[in-house]
Amino acid sequence: MTIFAFLGPAVVTLLAIGIVPLGFALYTSFHRYQLTNLKKTPFIGFDNYVTVLTDQAFWQAMGRTMTFLLMALPLQIVLGLLIALLLHQPGLSLLKTLCRLSLVIPMATTYAVVGLLGQVMFNIKYGVINQMLGWIGIGAINWIGDPTNAFIAIAFWDVWQWTPFCALVFLAGLSTVPAEIEEAAKLDTNSWWEIVRHIQLPFLMPGLTAILILRTADTLKLFDMVFTMTRGGPGSSTELISLMIQRVGFRGFDQGLASAQAVILLIITIILSQLYIRHFYSEAQR
Amino acid sequence: MRIMSYLGAAASAIALTATMATNEVKAWSLEEAAKPYAGTEVEVVFLLRPGYEAAKQMLPEFEEKTGIKINIIDHPYENSLGEQVRDFVAQGDLDIALIDLVWIGNFAENEWIVPIETFTSNPDLADPELDIDDFFPLVLNAFGGWNGTVYGLPFDNYSGLLFYNRCMLEEAGFDGPPATWEELKDTYGPALTKDGKHAYALQSKRNETQSADSFARMLWPFGGSFLDANFKSNLLSEESQTGLKFRQDLMQYMPEGIVSYDHAETVNGLAQGDVAMITEWSAFYSTLTSPETSTVTDCLEIAPEPAGPAGRKPALGGFSLAVASQADEDEQAAGWLFIQWVTSKANAKKYLELGGVPARQSVYQEPGIAEQFSFVDALVESWQDGVPEFRPRFAEWPQITEIVQEWGTKIMLGEVTTEEGAEEIGSRMEAVLDEAGYYNGDKPLAQ
Amino acid sequence: MNAATGQLGGVKVSRQLTAWHIGFLLLIILFCVFPFYWMVTTSLKTQIVALGTPPAWIFEPTLANYTEALFEDKVGASLINSLIVAVCTTMLALMLGTPAAYALARLEFRGKRDLWFWFITNRMVSPIVLALPFFLLVRQLKLLDTHIVLILIYLTFNLPIVIWICTDQFRSIPRSLDDAAKLDGAGQFHIFSRICLPLAAPGIAVSAIFSFIFSWNELMYALVLTRKAARTAPAIAVSFMEGYDLPYGKIMATSTLIVVPVIIFALIASRHLVRGLTMGAVK
Repeated sequence: MTIFAFLGPAVVTLLAIGIVPLGFALYTSFHRYQLTNLKKTPFIGFDNYVTVLTDQAFWQAMGRTMTFLLMALPLQIVLGLLIALLLHQPGLSLLKTLCRLSLVIPMATTYAVVGLLGQVMFNIKYGVINQMLGWIGIGAINWIGDPTNAFIAIAFWDVWQWTPFCALVFLAGLSTVPAEIEEAAKLDTNSWWEIVRHIQLPFLMPGLTAILILRTADTLKLFDMVFTMTRGGPGSSTELISLMIQRVGFRGFDQGLASAQAVILLIITIILSQLYIRHFYSEAQR
Repeated sequence: MRIMSYLGAAASAIALTATMATNEVKAWSLEEAAKPYAGTEVEVVFLLRPGYEAAKQMLPEFEEKTGIKINIIDHPYENSLGEQVRDFVAQGDLDIALIDLVWIGNFAENEWIVPIETFTSNPDLADPELDIDDFFPLVLNAFGGWNGTVYGLPFDNYSGLLFYNRCMLEEAGFDGPPATWEELKDTYGPALTKDGKHAYALQSKRNETQSADSFARMLWPFGGSFLDANFKSNLLSEESQTGLKFRQDLMQYMPEGIVSYDHAETVNGLAQGDVAMITEWSAFYSTLTSPETSTVTDCLEIAPEPAGPAGRKPALGGFSLAVASQADEDEQAAGWLFIQWVTSKANAKKYLELGGVPARQSVYQEPGIAEQFSFVDALVESWQDGVPEFRPRFAEWPQITEIVQEWGTKIMLGEVTTEEGAEEIGSRMEAVLDEAGYYNGDKPLAQ
Repeated sequence: MNAATGQLGGVKVSRQLTAWHIGFLLLIILFCVFPFYWMVTTSLKTQIVALGTPPAWIFEPTLANYTEALFEDKVGASLINSLIVAVCTTMLALMLGTPAAYALARLEFRGKRDLWFWFITNRMVSPIVLALPFFLLVRQLKLLDTHIVLILIYLTFNLPIVIWICTDQFRSIPRSLDDAAKLDGAGQFHIFSRICLPLAAPGIAVSAIFSFIFSWNELMYALVLTRKAARTAPAIAVSFMEGYDLPYGKIMATSTLIVVPVIIFALIASRHLVRGLTMGAVK
């Protein structure tokens, strides 16, 4: 019975808040549900889903989002791990505290603000990035107006914003490594990489899985930063899947189609998450 | 004696009734009309633009006279349609609808707004000075009318105008602005594009700006249009293609990355002296003439947009205010009184002076106005020539504009040719219209 | 404490390593802080200076953007709203989430893994699609534009984070402590609150920081579900993006005002992080 006492409140809360809207979204995904034409909402079965799955634009957006993920996520993980290891070393406590505090800044900045900051900093004329590139002899680059560069710019901001998250999660994971084991290992070998691989890695696995699942889900939901910086442009070059859903749902007002897209996206996320867990997490199951 | 007193009584009775009668005819006043609604609260969505700031400054006077409270909810343009649609769908609080000219078909067909007839035929609410014919017909029809019925009164009104830097033009040897688009491209373009400066900038960002400012602007002056008489796509016609190809050609005289330029960047280009000419909305007049935001205040000149082979077809845009049908009776009446008051002939001058752009013909004919506001001549001229269907205003526009935005920018980026882009837009547009029932007679061909 | 030196090398190696150590730490700090620095300096510029080419590093600062934002544009009120919402939802998430995390870490029952996964999936649905149903629901309940609405809805992504991080944190606490307490006759709840909770401080601190940050920065629901009374800071910040002019100075001023409270919160919470780490080392 203690189980209910401990788990009950959380479960009940999430059920109450989460289920109804999700149910609504599912319901509308099986109907033609145009906000601007609510007089006719016929049941159309899986039509919306078929439309989504056969829409080239949808798969292109998914492709873009996956490319984005594959570009940004490994960078965040590697850099985050390095930073966590650095912070895990003893000594230099003032500098480390300063570092830990400054890590919060990128995560704390509102995503929409990051996009706006991106507009200011990456502007071809009055942007400071081009100014600094000019100092080392590189000519002015058209960031936001060029399809490829815009993509790089948003990837850059994603890395800037979320590497600290990875670092902090890894740091928390490193803190669970019993100190005796670490000390013993350090007496055995000089190579930090060996220590990481054999001693610390198992303790990092839960954190790694968390990061993988969360970042994948978040990238599939990534909206604010990209929207404020490029609106999905130029053309469609930075239109990630969430921007497309927003376009369909909020601007085209086709709630049925948008819901179908979201459901498909949810399924994809769940599948990926299960893969992550099976691959990474189960190794650390105690 | 008795007869005298009878006559006296009769005379005074007649006199009394006479004065009462004439008083009744004269006595429509805002205060009187608003008495039953004192204390009513009216909700409306406003944008963060000069016209709305002007209205906000006028508000205290209205609230004092009537006791009606106007609650304003500010939203950026991008969100304003979504906010209102959601509110109407959910039977929410909004009592007045702010209607972009392209939303009128949508709102009207969903019966979310009330025709003004309901109020103009009500002697208690109708201001005898309304003088609806004083509005520019083009503007009234385009912003507030749909399928023959008038729903809203024009409130925040724009025309596309040519803003240019006279000093830069003079330096290059021109003594006036280009009269035609060809002139702008072939003569002015090369002469003004050098040393990091550009002759022209066309705002083309992938949102409504692309559809309204960039795409549509290059169709109409060349004789093109979105739809033909049968509501099929007209984008592959020779005229439309000429226009679109013209735009591609013109891009060489525009700053790099023009596809990511929204209004702000374009206006800033002129304001910072980097671009010689822009065709932008009249509302930017204040931004370009204020020393806080512009470095070219002394060199700024305004002219109507250049003409194309099919004539001068300046960009048309604006918002009307209409009463929302979801409001209850009191709120509807109070809302109407506000709409009527803020767009009235009497208030037009104050609105203009506070930074708004009214759509009353009378105010622009007043002496001294044209000198005080240098955009007036160009504006009045533009509103004589414009096309109401500059952008089709039917209910499906929200979906169609998304299509135009996507492929319009792709054309500009060179990812598809003008023919391919037009083909894509055309077929998708027709799919939307087909589903909505325009081709099988379910819906009348109104735009 | 001389772990960095290893068996070989001695003082020279340690100095070199320390130099690299310092260098990298400084680089990280610089990388994190520079955009923030640029944001703050831009907020002190007038519009003409902010949009000038090339960007100015030295200029005459003005506080006009801040005064305008705080007093004219009601940014101050929105900051208070954000504070109320973020604090309440974080506390709620911790109160609901830590017991749940403890149960998942310590207690055995069927379907545990699936339950854990279900908690996580709550965070995966796109808010864009849920915004409309939430709007309709909230409108029916007449809770539009209230704090409580956001506080509850944010639990859908805060609770999973808390549960996730804290579950792992609880798992790492040795069971021997539990057993010792049980021998003394302590009940499950006592073990949870007196023994495990304090030891889980780093995890709780981290999840509290994340929960606070995510709630503070959330935009989509705030835009759709609030109007005036409960409008949060990010919603106000983007409302300046009319597209009609570029009040970058004001936008950056608002942004700075938005970011500062979160940093303060992180300062407060990270002290527990430190304490937790040293506790682990000094067993």
